[in-house]
Order: sequence, then structure tokens, then C-alpha cells
Amino acid sequence: MLTYIIRRILISIPTIVFVSIVVFGLQLLLPGDPALALAGEERDPQLIAELRRIYHLDQPIWRQYLIWVGNVLQGNLGESIRLKMPVGDLVTAKLPVTMQLASMAILIATCVGIPMGIVSAVKKETILDYGANVVALSGISVPSFWLGIMMILLFSVNLGWLPASGFVKPSESLSQNLKTMIMPAFVLSSVTTAIFMRHTRSAMLAVLRSDYVRTARAKGLREPRVIFRHALRNAIIPVVTLGAIQLGELMSGAVLTEQIFTIPGFGKLIVDAVFNRDYAVVQGVVLCTATGFIFLNLCADLIYFLVNPRMRG
Amino acid sequence: MSASLLAVGALSTEFKTDQGRFRAVDEVSFSLEKGRTLGIVGESGCGKSVTALSIMGLVPSPPGYIVGGSIRFEGEELIGLTTERYQSLRGNRMGMIFQEPMTSLNPAFTVGDQIGEAIIRHEQVSQAESKRRTIELLRRVRIPSPEKRYDDYPHKLSGGMRQRAMIAMALSCSPDLLIADEPTTALDVTIQAQILELLAELRAETGMAIMLITHDLGVIAEMADEVVVMYAGRVIERAPAAALFASPQHPYTIGLMGSIPRLDLEQDRLAAIEGQVPNLVSLPKGCRFRARCPFAVAACAESDPPLIEVAAGHEAACLRAPLEVA
Ligand SMILES: Nc1ncnc2c1ncn2[C@@H]1O[C@H](COP(=O)(O)OP(=O)(O)OP(=O)(O)O)[C@@H](O)[C@H]1O
Ligand SMILES: [Mg+2]
Repeated sequence: MLTYIIRRILISIPTIVFVSIVVFGLQLLLPGDPALALAGEERDPQLIAELRRIYHLDQPIWRQYLIWVGNVLQGNLGESIRLKMPVGDLVTAKLPVTMQLASMAILIATCVGIPMGIVSAVKKETILDYGANVVALSGISVPSFWLGIMMILLFSVNLGWLPASGFVKPSESLSQNLKTMIMPAFVLSSVTTAIFMRHTRSAMLAVLRSDYVRTARAKGLREPRVIFRHALRNAIIPVVTLGAIQLGELMSGAVLTEQIFTIPGFGKLIVDAVFNRDYAVVQGVVLCTATGFIFLNLCADLIYFLVNPRMRG
Repeated sequence: MSASLLAVGALSTEFKTDQGRFRAVDEVSFSLEKGRTLGIVGESGCGKSVTALSIMGLVPSPPGYIVGGSIRFEGEELIGLTTERYQSLRGNRMGMIFQEPMTSLNPAFTVGDQIGEAIIRHEQVSQAESKRRTIELLRRVRIPSPEKRYDDYPHKLSGGMRQRAMIAMALSCSPDLLIADEPTTALDVTIQAQILELLAELRAETGMAIMLITHDLGVIAEMADEVVVMYAGRVIERAPAAALFASPQHPYTIGLMGSIPRLDLEQDRLAAIEGQVPNLVSLPKGCRFRARCPFAVAACAESDPPLIEVAAGHEAACLRAPLEVA
């Protein structure tokens, strides 16, 4: 058990190194010179040279990389050239907003997608099954910006129930915060809900045909116990693993959703940073996101390991 | 007749599939008395498992439907029984073990948990009492160190041990009827013999009746009191075991006898009879065995022969029975 976890963690290290190189390399692909951007209108050559020195832009690429990694390892993600703030502070300020959004979305997807999948598998080829499939298909195919705009039109403009934008911190007013977050979370969750529903459905269908479910029925167990204990317990394993990966997907999906609802989260941070060639911020955000992805994948594997007795040996 | 533990009369079960609709079980009748062993034998696909599942009320539906007949168990009609009542019989008065021991236990729960679950379901006992009884059951089916095995997950057990655990589960509430659907097919030859021996011992101890499904006449010879031979969904011969082996009446049974796989030989299914089982979706007119039958005459193409008594308690569905065979 412990050796498995340790081995799994060791395997992630090369991945993180690789990611860091890619993240660092990204800036080479971005057009434009940051020193020029900073120097402003005058383009004073002396100022530009000075800026290049301060930000190590005059060093060879590999030196720049090592300096950057060294700083990152000390928890120093550099400074935003534009906002004149440590990137670390920006990340800690914006990350919770996006995490809240993603968590709410995954919660909605779980509470809606999984029960829908169970019902459509148990009531296979009935109106309930067809209905659930139509909902899932729309969830996957409707673009989120369109869904977001439609929801704003309906709930904010026409009905006036929910604010269309404007973020309130949960520490200020939790109810106000939830009011502003519920629509974005719903929009963000739509694809994941559909994916959960489809996976739960197919996993349940396979498990309901299995020999051990027949055994459970042969024991005389009542149908709810057969479905929720004997079938679901096995069908949920791949879905849970998928959930951890989906959480990562939601973090990136949040970029768009935050734009639609103007929520000051990670997504807005990175979009602004890219447009302003704020390399340090781009690197910091992407590195955090990528590390988060790797961590979530690790969690997915560990969850799979924990819920699956066969893996425990 | 009323004394029969299980009386199946003209049971028909159909499947609706993309290829069409067909009768996997066609007007099957037999009965089983308390404490006796009934052997059901026949080639793969002849409807043995579907017959067993029909009795248990476990035919997957869709695509399967019981379309006619009657199943009386301890005098009670099972066809059309309420779900609630059926559930209280299954695992309690009648237990079943399956052809596939490797996949018949739930991988997510311990062996002890799964056996105890049946006891708790049918007899309102405490967790501690169910554990005590489960360990006792594991001991009875000769699983070594039952206290340890109680907490094992199925994947730790070999096929033979899993089948023993399945037997323990089926026996947990002392049923009157145990349906064993090819309980040894998936196991090694030496393990097969052990499991059969165990079943015979348990039957003697408990007095339960066993409906033993197999494709192996050797097993029938060893275990069964009565035998039902099935072919393409129908019963084509029915007799006490001794009579069947002494003078088989249906050409199909005779064919099977020519190919008894012996327990000590590594031999598979009954394959010695020439030809193919007819497609159930489009059955030819007349006797279903006709195309493969060395005794067939023109009249065999006219109609499907019914079961007729050829000797006391011995029935065969063949126009030419009783056959004089050397
Ligand atoms: N769920 C199902 N859906 C469709 N057809 C089925 C289903 N289960 C069984 N059948 C069909 O019913 C017929 C009888 O099958 P059954 O499983 O009873 O055979 P069997 O005698 O038990 O054979 P075996 O020795 O291989 O176990 C076969 O033609 C089979 O294809
Ligand atoms: Mg079978």
C-alpha cells in the first residue's frame, strides 16, 4: 500500500519537471518583447537594457530557466510585471475563487449526473432513459457561452432572480456569494454532468448484467439493496476516478465561464496576463494548474486503489 | 403428485432478440421429490440454465419471458408470484449456485459479508450471530481456516474455494431445494470431484433436494436419482437414473452415452454426436433431432413427437421408442 503510493508519487516527479520546462518554454512562443512592453512609449534603450538585466532577460535561456526553477522551489513565483505584485499573492488571492466555482460545479454534476445515470440504467429503454440521454447530449453539445448567455437572459434580465455578474466574497456575504456563483457553476457543470451520467449509465448497465448481481438476487435481496449496494458500489469506481480528472477539466473550463460572468478568478487572471505579456503570471498560473492536474490524477489513482479491494492485494 | 417439492409443468420461456423470437425452454415438465437429486443433462444451449433461472424467477427480462406453464414449489405456484414473496423464497427456501464461480461473488465485499448478508436478510439475526453462523458454514463446506477466510475478498480465493463459498451462501438458510447449475464446469478435474462429493455429503446431512444441471453423464451417473435429458429446449427423455443408463430410449441419449466424458480424463463438452443443434429461431417441422438421428424415418418429419411412457416411469419423445439397441 505505502510502496504503491510512494512509487506513484515518484513517477509524477519527471512529469512535473517536464511540465516546468514546457511552461517556461511557453514564453518563447509568445510574440513580443516584455522589456519593450514595459519600457512604454519612449523606448529608451538604456531603460530597456536595465529592465533586461533586472528580469534576467539578457541571460541565456537555460540560465533563465534555472533561476526561475530555483525561485519557484523557494516559493517565489516571481513578480507580475504589470501589477507589481508577487505572483504567489495573486495566485493565493484568485485560486480560491476558481476552486469554489469548480467545486460547486463538480457537486452539481455529482448530484445530478450520477443519479440520472443510475435511473437511466435501471429503467433502460423507457421514457426516463431516453429523457436522461437527451439531457446528457444537450449538456455535451450546447456551448457554455450560449448556455451562460441564455441563463443570464432568463434569470437575470427577465426574471431578475440572480445577478448577471459581480463577485462577492463568501466572507462578506455567503448567501450573496452563492447567488452570484450558482449560475456560473451550473453552466460550468453541464459537460461534466453529462459525462458523469453517461459513464454511470454504461457502468451500471454492465454491472447489472454481471454474475454477482444475479447472485445478489438469488440470495433474495430486495432490488434497492441489489442496485445500491451490489451494483453501484462496483459501477461507481470508474466514475469516481473520472471525477478527479474532471475536476482538473473544470479548472480549465472555468477560464471561459469566468469571462462570461466576469468572475475575478484564475481564468481572468491568466487571460489578462497573456494579453499583457505578463510572463511571470502566465508561468505561475500554468505551473500551478499543471501541478494541480498531476495532483488530481494522483488522487484519482489513489482513490481507485482505495475503493478497489483487488488492487490492495 | 401433491407430495412433490418441485413440480414443473409445460414451462415455456421465450427470448426476444434481434435475430427473432425463440423458445429457449419449450413445454418442459418434471418433478422433484424432497431429498432427491434430479439431474438435467444436455448439450450447451439446450435450455438448462434458462429452466433453472425460470424456477428462481431470475430470467433477465427483457429479453426473456416465461410464456406459459406452471412451477409449483412446496405446493405454491411460482409463476406470477409477487416480487416480495419471490424474494423471501430465494436464498431462503431455494438456493442456487452457478456455472461461473470466478465471477459470481461480488469483488467489492468480503466473502463473510456476502454470506452473512443472506442470513441477515431472511432470519432476523444479529451481526455477531450471522458471523458465527457464516464461519460455521465455511467450515461445513470445508474451507480451511474459515475465521481468516471470512475477512478475505473473493479475489484471494481459488475457483474451487469460491464455489465452496457460493455453496455456503446457498445453504445459509437451509433451503429445501438447491439448484446447482454446472457447479464444476469451470473447475479443475480434481476439484470437480471434491465439489461433487461435498454436494452429496451435504445432501445426506441436510435432506435437501438438489437439481443438478450438467452436460456430463458421468456426473449424473454418480449423483442423480432421476434424470431429465433436454434437447433444443425440450425434454426428450425422462427416467430414473438406473433405468436411463440400463436402457436409454431416445437416440439422442444413446448418442450421449457413446460419448460419456470420464471425470478422470481431460475431456470437454459432449461433442461426439454428428451434426448441429437446430437454430431455435427457425425450427424445422417435425422432430428436432431428426437431422442428426441415425434412426430417423420419413414419419419423423411430420410432427414433433410428444413424451410417451415406454416403460414404468420412463418416458421418451421418439416415434421409434422403445428402441431395441444392442
Ligand atoms: N439473456 C439471454 N438473451 C438471449 N438469449 C439467451 C439468454 N440467455 C440464454 N439465451 C439463449 O437460450 C438458449 C438456452 O440457453 P441456456 O443458457 O439455458 O443453455 P444451457 O443449456 O445452460 O447451456 P450451457 O451448457 O452452455 O450452460 C440458448 O440458445 C441461449 O443463447
Ligand atoms: Mg448453462
